[in-house]
Amino acid sequence: MEFYTQNGMKRPIRLSESTRKFARDSLARKYGLDTMKVDSVSVDDIENFGNMSELARYDAAIKRIAAESPLRICPDEKISGAATLGMAIRHYIPATYSGKSVSYGMSHLTADFETVVKYGVNSIKAKALKAYSEYKGTESEEFIKSCLNCIEAFEIWHSRYLDALSNMPEYKANYENLKRVPFEPATSFYEAVQSIWFAFAFMRLCGNWPGIGRIDHLLGDYLKKDLKNGSITLDEAREILAHFFIKGCEWVNGQYIGSGDAQHYQNILLGGIDEDGKEITNEVSYLVLDILEELGISDFPTTVRVNKSTDGKFLRRVAEVMRYGGGTLAVYNEDLVIKALVNDGYPEREARKFANDGCWEVQIPGKTYFTYIPFDSLQILQKSTLNGYEQGVAFDSFEELYNAFVSDLYKKVEEIYIDKISSLTDTTSLRHCWEWPCTVISLFEQGCIEKGASYVDGGPIYNIISPHIGGLADTVNSLYAIKKLVYDDKRVTLSDLLNILHNDWNGEEALRQYALNRYVYYGNDNDEVDELAARLLSDFADICTSFNGKCGYRFPAGVSTFGRQLEWAHMRLAVPYGRKAGVVLAANCSPTPNTDKEGATAIIRSYCKADLSKLATGAALDIKLLPSSVEGENGLQALISLLRGFVSLGGFFMQPDVVDASVLKQAQENPEDYQTLSVRVSGWNARFVTLDKEWQDMVIEQNEH
Amino acid sequence: MHDGPGIRTTVFLKGCPLHCEWCHNPETQKFSPELLYYGNRCIGCFSCADVCPNGVHGGENEHIIDRSNCTACALCANDCPSTALEICGKEMTFADILSVAEKDKAFYGETGGITLSGGEPFAQNEATVEFLKACRTQRISTAVETCGYCDTDILLSAIPFVDLFLWDIKDTNQARHKKYTGASNELILKNLNAANEKNARIRLRCILVNGVNTDEEHYKSIARLASGINNFDGIDILPYHAYGGSKALLLGLRDNGKKEWIPDQTQIDRLNSILRDHGIIV
Repeated sequence: MEFYTQNGMKRPIRLSESTRKFARDSLARKYGLDTMKVDSVSVDDIENFGNMSELARYDAAIKRIAAESPLRICPDEKISGAATLGMAIRHYIPATYSGKSVSYGMSHLTADFETVVKYGVNSIKAKALKAYSEYKGTESEEFIKSCLNCIEAFEIWHSRYLDALSNMPEYKANYENLKRVPFEPATSFYEAVQSIWFAFAFMRLCGNWPGIGRIDHLLGDYLKKDLKNGSITLDEAREILAHFFIKGCEWVNGQYIGSGDAQHYQNILLGGIDEDGKEITNEVSYLVLDILEELGISDFPTTVRVNKSTDGKFLRRVAEVMRYGGGTLAVYNEDLVIKALVNDGYPEREARKFANDGCWEVQIPGKTYFTYIPFDSLQILQKSTLNGYEQGVAFDSFEELYNAFVSDLYKKVEEIYIDKISSLTDTTSLRHCWEWPCTVISLFEQGCIEKGASYVDGGPIYNIISPHIGGLADTVNSLYAIKKLVYDDKRVTLSDLLNILHNDWNGEEALRQYALNRYVYYGNDNDEVDELAARLLSDFADICTSFNGKCGYRFPAGVSTFGRQLEWAHMRLAVPYGRKAGVVLAANCSPTPNTDKEGATAIIRSYCKADLSKLATGAALDIKLLPSSVEGENGLQALISLLRGFVSLGGFFMQPDVVDASVLKQAQENPEDYQTLSVRVSGWNARFVTLDKEWQDMVIEQNEH
Repeated sequence: MHDGPGIRTTVFLKGCPLHCEWCHNPETQKFSPELLYYGNRCIGCFSCADVCPNGVHGGENEHIIDRSNCTACALCANDCPSTALEICGKEMTFADILSVAEKDKAFYGETGGITLSGGEPFAQNEATVEFLKACRTQRISTAVETCGYCDTDILLSAIPFVDLFLWDIKDTNQARHKKYTGASNELILKNLNAANEKNARIRLRCILVNGVNTDEEHYKSIARLASGINNFDGIDILPYHAYGGSKALLLGLRDNGKKEWIPDQTQIDRLNSILRDHGIIV
């Protein structure tokens, strides 16, 4: 099996054959299938389990998982620990009572790996012990007790690996490494990699899907020190780090779950500035790029923080790796993201620490409760503002129509707010009236132990609920088409147009074609429509932030669909810009498929006209490039220029993918020949063959030029 | 990909002194705007017939176009709902073109810029030189795709403002050049020589048409030309493709695409190996 490339270029070989074999086996599902063999552990035999409190049940389940989950030590692996229960792949806590999982796992967060590596899990334990004496006798006592129970479970799991490795002389290095970490601070690069991996694997073993965060920032100083004192070479460091990436594929199992088998929100960031504003790009950043280039692993979707002064050499490496396709690398415009976070109220030093939530929504890692609430703005326009295309609506001007739509948008955001506060015990606190145990994650989120409150109970330092507008391009294009057809060019009255749309354009082919072709929609650098998009995004962001301060959560705005345009397709009606009902429309902040006729630079220009710094949790742009357009030195330069342009024009997040739709069609027909072909779906990558047909068709449609 | 380095804004200047039988941009041969008709897009609404003052559009079931009366006034194209009718070519001022380029400037980086293509950019004479000067003032890098068939003085006056010439060599054989392009290659080679003497940066682009210019003699002549260029940027071999033929249909012309003209890989490899023999990196 070769590691797939879209551009036909041979991937370079730098890693040892045993490491390459480990990668091939992992991508060929060996460990994913192994993980599925044992789905969960059972807690049926625990006395009185049914009558225990939610937290006590959770603690018992975590202890059982730690004590009884299978251990896995792969041939030649350089770091130890594995999340070996199948149910965790489906995001449940893999312990069952009467055949049912005891609870769900947590995701959309990046855990506090900095504390783990630098200070060790024992520092968290010390914090918990201190809190225990403080909170004794209060309502937080049980939560703090739970923290201590989960740390104990982690110790049990750790000692099981130590025991197993101590009897295996060929894993002496693993054993020596694991003796200190993750409980004690890491003292070397090798220990630091093992430390992060072990904590990550434990969280995953317990059903959670955390993101990793800024891996080069976490590891860079350790590697620098070790290189300087000669205890490691760059080649050795690359091998160790490669095992981290390969082990991250231990859940690859080829299961058709719709959106692919690689979607576990385990994103990684590279590059950018630290809290003092100093560039952090280091040897580890380059090693990660080497590994992605050689193995094509897409399971840790990696995003590079690019700014106006990003080093040319580094950006060139990024572009080189991007060219192989697979959508493995995306970019943040760091300057704008930091500005957006500062606008949203974070101190600048804090904003500079941003990572993502494991997908592409930005957050401050290890300190943030985050959830986003998606909704479809197109259906609001169609069903509320335009009354489902039944008659009975009249607007004398486009302004009147637009304002009516914005007030419907306000109602939607208000509904999200009311729905969220209704679960709180009172509107000023973040305490919920429901219990959702999540102590394992709470250990790795700053604020939880200090406040005596779990991750979902307002424990973290920042608590964010982000309304995410979907169908942006489709709504903007719809509004624009109505503006042109009805109010500017007066080709049809609003009442007649609604009738026509109600009939799904039947019998009105000439007008449908006119709407579809004669106006220039979002994504083609047409100021008139792009300004409408900018205005709508700005109004939406203002609506969201107007709810700040009304309860303990902040409400920053974001733009996304991820893959929801698929499920929404069946609920949407015909659109005024000439598409019939039922068509799969735009993704994220990207143009509607087939309306973008001016190429990638025009798409970026349209997208950048909005003030994206008002969208503090993100607005993603998907860009599809043909392999031929990035060929050779010219193509490489073009790709670098595209990234630079994106930054200088004020983009937020861009996920470029190098894809040839015809190759995807072949893969659809002969899946067995394309096992390692991965594509960018949205905030994640998926092996194309593990997407179901509907998703595959959508990706193909997005990639046709 | 073949219009210069990095991200580029390509401006097609209409009108060409050569009439290559294999032309892949037939819509840029004439100097004036022309009506294009995409039959596959036409929905048969005949709104064009209603707006045309000259009765160009007609037919019952089939759309028939009488191009002899067409003035390319664009009334039909502006009204066609499905963009089956388009006007190719419009007058643009320097400011118009530069404002388009200005938008792309964020993407030019260190390598990108404007490429003048065609048609033949130097067929616009002084205007082309003035435009290139304007680009230099705006600090926009320039490339010019030329067939080299132009006024030598115009060419020489443009050289200081051109960062890269993409120079077409259709055929080094005098007689064949005349037969297939309608003009001798004497002026082209003389101009190439003149530009070279002024140290212009030159990249050669050689179309390969099976059975026309796929002989050893031509290959060797290309290699000699390339090795004589002082400020040599490289060489692109452009194997003939038949797409230009279907574009001719849009103009109401006969499809001039010929499958038998497509060269095979061994011919391309042979040219490459001769170039390498002459020390040229391909």
